Amino acid sequence: MTDQSGVNKFVVPIGPQHPALKEPGHFDFTVDGEIVTGASIRLGYVHRGIEKGAEDRTWTQNIYLMERICGICSHVHASSYALGVENLADLVSPPRSKAIRQIMAELERIHSHMLWLGVAAHEGGFDALFMYSWRDRETVMDLLEKVSGNRVHYSANVLGGVKFDITPELADEIRMGLDILEERNRHYLNIIMNDETLIARTRGIGTMSKETVERLGAVGPTARASGSERDLRLDAPYCLYKEFPVKLVNHSAGDLHARFIVRTEEVIESIRNIRLVLDNMPEGELTVRVPRRIPAGEVYSRVEAPRGELFYFIVSGGGEKPERVKVRTPSLCNWGTITAVAVGHKLADMPMILAGIDPCFSCNDRLVTVRRNHHEPQVWSWEQLRRYGVEYYK
Amino acid sequence: MNDVDTTAQSALDILAPYILETSRPIPRRVDVRIKVDDLVPAVKALLDANWGYLVAITGIDRPAVQPTEGEPEGEDHIEVLYSIGQGPVCLFLRLMVPYSAPQVQSVCGLIPSATLYERELMELFGVDVVGTPDRRRLIVAEEFPEGIYPMRKSFKAARTMSSDEDEVRE
Repeated sequence: MTDQSGVNKFVVPIGPQHPALKEPGHFDFTVDGEIVTGASIRLGYVHRGIEKGAEDRTWTQNIYLMERICGICSHVHASSYALGVENLADLVSPPRSKAIRQIMAELERIHSHMLWLGVAAHEGGFDALFMYSWRDRETVMDLLEKVSGNRVHYSANVLGGVKFDITPELADEIRMGLDILEERNRHYLNIIMNDETLIARTRGIGTMSKETVERLGAVGPTARASGSERDLRLDAPYCLYKEFPVKLVNHSAGDLHARFIVRTEEVIESIRNIRLVLDNMPEGELTVRVPRRIPAGEVYSRVEAPRGELFYFIVSGGGEKPERVKVRTPSLCNWGTITAVAVGHKLADMPMILAGIDPCFSCNDRLVTVRRNHHEPQVWSWEQLRRYGVEYYK
Repeated sequence: MNDVDTTAQSALDILAPYILETSRPIPRRVDVRIKVDDLVPAVKALLDANWGYLVAITGIDRPAVQPTEGEPEGEDHIEVLYSIGQGPVCLFLRLMVPYSAPQVQSVCGLIPSATLYERELMELFGVDVVGTPDRRRLIVAEEFPEGIYPMRKSFKAARTMSSDEDEVRE
């Protein structure tokens, strides 16, 4: 991994078992003293073969598979997939199901951004902020559990609608939780805006101009913190975002500090949006019937995940299984910004710059297979794999 | 004309010299089939006009269908889709890349972030992306054999094999 061209270059390899992040990724930072002069990334350590696996499962089974692409934004994956398949089948899910999808998506955004706030604070050495924000995040986790029965894979979606209703009693509980969350997040926003050490650690770090983020194709809060106006909830509304729109949250500074502000303000905006939908819940059915075989065709589906634009491309051959499901997750778009932004910063800033884009490795890494030394891939049966696992951990 | 129509039409105007075939399955989607060699100029034309950003590069394996009686045998292809988003509209540049000459030109010179998608295309579909700056492995393991492309239809996942065996047993 040494650079052949340079003189006296020193490469600091970090990962895949990572000191800063909780997921595996490998980085090579070329440094001159303390200053980073180059960066490269190797992904793929948690590639699980999900796109290939999707071709071998029925339309319904895939909903559960897609939900497991990510343990943080599971709902948006299933929503995006379900919206795509409903489009292929030429169906529209009932308005009440759209409202519930939207509420779940915004609750998920709150939980994801608060999780990020904790992680980013921790990387910067603000462990009190990390612990407080994660304590308060439990409020939204409890709400998600009350509504769906689960903390992580809410499993709200079915093809053609949603599985559970939000009753008036549940709505009241959500409203109470939102009050607490709003108060706490306004407090965090105040800290972010006024705490001197936090500002010193984040202001002017990892700055990207609007032109840079747009050229590099960054999405979501990472892009909006640099003044970009890309938000699919506004650009191409789905669910009920047309009837109950969100306000665009962006910031012109483009540094790490702006990324803190944008995400925290987005939480407050999500809270407002959930209240709006709860107060105007459409009545009616939760599902429509979706046929077992989906008509042949191709469809794309784009939704705004907590980390930015999530893109699905689904091809049906008219059978019970999809021909192809392509998933492009927002983290993949935002990686490009790291290599561009890292240069010129201190090595000590890298953990926060990395955490600044809110990377999600499991989202990036989806495909793979069993390795071997010869020319043909070895195909293992489930039983062989299980036996291998048992032996390995003996 | 509304916003969606204007945006869609402007893409078609920019791409006019390269279009082989075009369709608009839904108002928000524009499909444009172009020649493999026209990819870089077409993307450049869009960028020069400040139209959109690269959303994704998707590979789809399209093996030849079994020819019917009297029909000539078809060729195996990888279809490569360049999705470019602008506001509510998503444009798909579609390329048919034959197995016999599995090559496309890199767009990294224009869009540096395309590198991750292009490496995915090389590793999983076996499409050689000519001129892509980094050819190291991104997704599959270092010791994964050369010349095996997991996302091609001819590659069977373990689960498929076992379910085939089940059928034999039954």
